[in-house]
Amino acid sequence: MKVSQLLCAAGPVDAVTNQAFAWRRWFERWGWEGRDYAAHMAPGLPARALRPMRELEGDQEPDVLVLHYSGYVAGLEQVLGRFPRSLLVSHNVTPARFFWAHEPVDAARCELARDQLPALGALAGAVAGVSRFNARELTELSGREADVIPVLFDESRLAARNGEPQGAPTVLFVGRLTPHKRQDLLIRALAPLREAMPEARLVLVGTPLSPPFEERLRALAGRLAPGAVAFETGGISSERLAGHYRSAHVFLCLSEHEGFCIPLLEAFHFGLPVIAREAGAVGEVVDDAGILLGPEDGVDTVAELLRIVISDRELRDELRARGDRRLRGYDQSSTAAGMRGVLETLAVR
Amino acid sequence: MKDPAEALEAARRAAAARGSAAGAQAEPDWPLEDPAAAGRRLVQWAIIEPDQTRIYSTRRYGRPVTWLKRGLIRLLRQYFDQVTAQQSRFNAQVAAQVLRLEERVAALERTIGDDDDGATAPDRPAR
Repeated sequence: MKVSQLLCAAGPVDAVTNQAFAWRRWFERWGWEGRDYAAHMAPGLPARALRPMRELEGDQEPDVLVLHYSGYVAGLEQVLGRFPRSLLVSHNVTPARFFWAHEPVDAARCELARDQLPALGALAGAVAGVSRFNARELTELSGREADVIPVLFDESRLAARNGEPQGAPTVLFVGRLTPHKRQDLLIRALAPLREAMPEARLVLVGTPLSPPFEERLRALAGRLAPGAVAFETGGISSERLAGHYRSAHVFLCLSEHEGFCIPLLEAFHFGLPVIAREAGAVGEVVDDAGILLGPEDGVDTVAELLRIVISDRELRDELRARGDRRLRGYDQSSTAAGMRGVLETLAVR
Repeated sequence: MKDPAEALEAARRAAAARGSAAGAQAEPDWPLEDPAAAGRRLVQWAIIEPDQTRIYSTRRYGRPVTWLKRGLIRLLRQYFDQVTAQQSRFNAQVAAQVLRLEERVAALERTIGDDDDGATAPDRPAR
């Protein structure tokens, strides 16, 4: 069988790009052929891993085209219209309202993407989201019943966990520095935590939305918790990322919107207790394996909870055990079997 | 403590006690709206200056293609300079117009605010 993939945008540290590569490895394992394309490509990608979207025109018709949708691409409707046996996988588009004040161009793109999604949904042979949250949103936008095909989470590509971390109490968050991920609240929660634990520190890993946005966060950190917030804003190696997970005591996510949030699974993998705000797909990904905060919980509650989780060994062990159980729900083989079923059904239509 | 729900409740209780001791303060929100910043950015972006380093090729053996693309831009510099100048002129005009409108709206809002303060003035119609 020949399955090609099309990405809206690709980059060396982009989660959707990594997902497409992971799927390609599975397709190859099944003996399937096909090529991968992207509408926009950032420098730094492995040579020839992806081809420009325009070359899809000359591609011998694949049996199925998988469109990983994550952002607006002009003319995508025409491209998808040529492939009736296509699967649209929505990786979620952040609502534009989070970006208007910071990066209007990104906001406009998000708005366009959410407008484009219904048309693409109508053209695709089948539609799916990477979480129930995404699938529900896609169903609402396109009027079609969307499947759930979770992200492929390959634990074997991650370093092994270690025991209890040594050193200063460390809170970690991994994710782009963007307004909807609310790194500002993480910084605000650190300030009261440091009253109880003066050595506590926060590590923020992720590329910034823009230099001015990063400057604002750094200024806030300098004002509320001087010297206690470490920013790791460049693309980092998987070894270095593993080092951050291993040296942290707790993973804290206060995002207001997440289509999936792979770092939550990475935190489970590294045995890190998870505290997260229940927003978007976070609740279904974390389930009972972490502590979910409600809308009524302010930064004081977050700080108290951080203090409890960092200092209570029994609670940490319990959360670690629950995290391990939760990861079994994202077993790669069952996710891959689900995808294979959808693609094989599409191919014989 | 082994139960995560119990930990959350304990944290809520402690935070509530802390809030009542310190006098509960509303948590400042991350501003989603910053009209002043938007205006500044409009001005910053008005004059367009395309970055030639962002012209590149992602093809295999793409380096000569990158050189070719950059060479073409150099050859057509007079044309591109005209286009960017026209676009910048238009952008600057729009930015100036928006800033003037913002100033007028702000002045009108101040006037309305002053009028509301003087609502009991004898010449003001009853609402």
